[in-house]
Amino acid sequence: MTNSEGRVQRSGSATRRHIAKFALAAMATTSLISTSVYAQAVDLSKWSPEYVKSIAGTKDFDAAKDCGAVVPNDYAGNVSYWYTGPFEADPQIAHDQDKAFWDAFHAAYPNIKTDVQSITYNELLDKFRTALLGNSAPMVIRLQILGGVEFAAKGYLNPVKPEDYGFTAADFWPGALKSVTYDNTLYGLPTNNETMAFIWNAKVFKDAGLDPEAAPKTWDDVVAYSKQIHDKLGISGYGLVAKQNAGNTPFRFMPQLWAYGGGSLDETAASPTYKSVEINNAGSKAALQAAYQMYAVDKSVPVSALTNTQAENQAPFIAGQLGMMIAHPAEYAKMLDLASKATGADKATADAVVENMRYGLMPTGPDGKRAVVFGGSNIHVVKPEFVDGGKVDEQAVRALICMWDSPEWSTRLAWVGSNPGNINGFLTTSMKQRLDTIKFLDVTTSMLPNGIPFPVLPESPEIMNIVVPDMLQNALTGNMTVDQATEDAAKKIETIIAGGGGGI
Amino acid sequence: MYTSRFDYLYVAPALLVMLIVIAYPVYYTIELSFYKTPASLSLADKTFTGLDNYSTVLTSAIFWKVTWQTIIWTVLSTLFSFLLGLGAALALHRAFIGRALLRGLLLIPWVVSAVAASYVWKWLYHSDFGAIGALLNAVGLTKGPVNFIDNSTTSLYALIVVNVWKEFSFAMIMLMAGLQTVPESLLRAAQVDGASAWQRFWHVTMPQLQGVSTVTVLLLVVQNFNSFIIPFIMTGGGPVGSTQIWITHIYELAFLRQNWGVGAAYAVLLFLIMMVLGYFYVRALTRGDDKRAGA
Repeated sequence: MTNSEGRVQRSGSATRRHIAKFALAAMATTSLISTSVYAQAVDLSKWSPEYVKSIAGTKDFDAAKDCGAVVPNDYAGNVSYWYTGPFEADPQIAHDQDKAFWDAFHAAYPNIKTDVQSITYNELLDKFRTALLGNSAPMVIRLQILGGVEFAAKGYLNPVKPEDYGFTAADFWPGALKSVTYDNTLYGLPTNNETMAFIWNAKVFKDAGLDPEAAPKTWDDVVAYSKQIHDKLGISGYGLVAKQNAGNTPFRFMPQLWAYGGGSLDETAASPTYKSVEINNAGSKAALQAAYQMYAVDKSVPVSALTNTQAENQAPFIAGQLGMMIAHPAEYAKMLDLASKATGADKATADAVVENMRYGLMPTGPDGKRAVVFGGSNIHVVKPEFVDGGKVDEQAVRALICMWDSPEWSTRLAWVGSNPGNINGFLTTSMKQRLDTIKFLDVTTSMLPNGIPFPVLPESPEIMNIVVPDMLQNALTGNMTVDQATEDAAKKIETIIAGGGGGI
Repeated sequence: MYTSRFDYLYVAPALLVMLIVIAYPVYYTIELSFYKTPASLSLADKTFTGLDNYSTVLTSAIFWKVTWQTIIWTVLSTLFSFLLGLGAALALHRAFIGRALLRGLLLIPWVVSAVAASYVWKWLYHSDFGAIGALLNAVGLTKGPVNFIDNSTTSLYALIVVNVWKEFSFAMIMLMAGLQTVPESLLRAAQVDGASAWQRFWHVTMPQLQGVSTVTVLLLVVQNFNSFIIPFIMTGGGPVGSTQIWITHIYELAFLRQNWGVGAAYAVLLFLIMMVLGYFYVRALTRGDDKRAGA
């Protein structure tokens, strides 16, 4: 005889069933109570750098107490968890916040035993895939924003409801929830979210006769500014990135494509179906034409764009040889780091670049549409049959997720390069400290409402990391015209989403 | 020849490990090659499609384009690595001051990590700030950025240069060892008979190097067929697929597109070619063994 998990039922299961029913009822009650733990206090319609600064530090939360309403603080159990924690290269503050979280969790839930593994970003997916095949996965895992869709599609993850963890849907960015919804089912909760912004070198702008304190307003301006910088100074204007098989490429090209009204599928729609291919629409073609103009006609971007990732743009930027580029919130810290390592005349140049570094909002399309890729991570619960030991301690899992995603910890655990997945985190004192100490954080943070997640499909990495760069390269090298390149990409995407597989 | 049952016991642990780490993955890859594995399904839900994946691979235009690039990559890399290695081995075979130092220096490319070498060469070739382009500009051979790896016509050849630089030392070591076995008496006899330097090399040295040359070439061919790091790091297979070779294409299909079934079929084809090369390698290594055993 087997139970619902396909495992042999042991004696005493009737009693356990009663306990389980009682526990379920108790959990339902607590979850109803807990939905009101974080009343919505953030007005997304007012979102701007000034608004972000004005609300920071206005409210404090007690995660241990709030989560105690979801799972009693004296609950005894165990939970296993995999995530990408801080590693050697990360700043000390990331290590400190990570340690502080686990200390706080063990203080709040002294009877929950934790089995935690911090696994590098590059290894996490493969290790998780392998563990799932061997039914030895952890109960909870945190994956990068679209990392979970593959596992949701394959049936490895449990559907979740924010209310079960003491939250409501309003506690998260709509874009973030969209990124963790597959087949109309929520299969995880956002833990942290970030968007990129536009950076430029004010001195380069000034020397080229541009307003040094103003970012280009539109993508057409970017094309014009790039040409002006190149023609006047002989350096590259915009840091185009178009390497094949590289994730950096879609993160930098898709915002431009979306701004012009394009898309790979209908990911920009409020309720995307991911069935209609839009890579060959007028907006997508206009965006590709703009990239072609910069690379092949004006020659105002690096020739090496076809083999460049963002890492290859950092050196010319810090050397004052590149005018502008799309960058991560942590780019400023990276530039500071590069400047600190420079010596002699290079040091003076690098320091001047850091001094002249400016962050601004992403340019808009011709119709005023502003877009950026919605990044971050989500936390997921694995189905018991794939977990080491065959059981998931749901209460312990709830306690962990409630604490991790609480306003306070969601902010502190994303200290260096991201933002709280729980919107209420923007109200905390920790957020205020971050804004006070991390330059340009207010600007990069204010791009969040414009964030669009890549299509939530298991085939998304293939479309974004291979088909989109292929399309760019076909057009930029003149291997195809812009029209041909977009039509070719459209056919490839159609084949991929029809289940035909691409690349051969 | 069978002598004792205990012999099997002695090799059993090694055999067991080989079964687990070699035989099973080979078996699983072959099995997977007969299944369709969409990204949206777990491997447990794969569907049997017979030889469809093989047909997909062999009838694809991209496959034949990549195959042609793989042949160019393998043949040119092997040829130039061997010739350069042979030249270096002949030069270092003669005694001169600083020979040991030069031998050590020439070994550097071989001992350097392929990943590190790829990044260094990527910057050397860099189309905007590369040292090679700057040098060519400085001596007046070119004007403006020199496009080595961002150009679909030159990228494969640019990568072959890197590959040859990386592996010619291997050929050099092998051939230096082979040169030690060339009898000095034969070379002297040829010299006494009035043979020129070229005639001594072609008629005395090269025939003596035939065995080691065959093994070296076979090892280089196998290595080049499987050479992944340089093209993947330097160009990611681009621009427009111009540096895609079999092994990088298999990786893309299996791991980046999660098209495991087709990737497995592709890998099986590569495996068959490797087996053929392996057969010739073993034959070259064991040439004369039977004769010696008979004697």
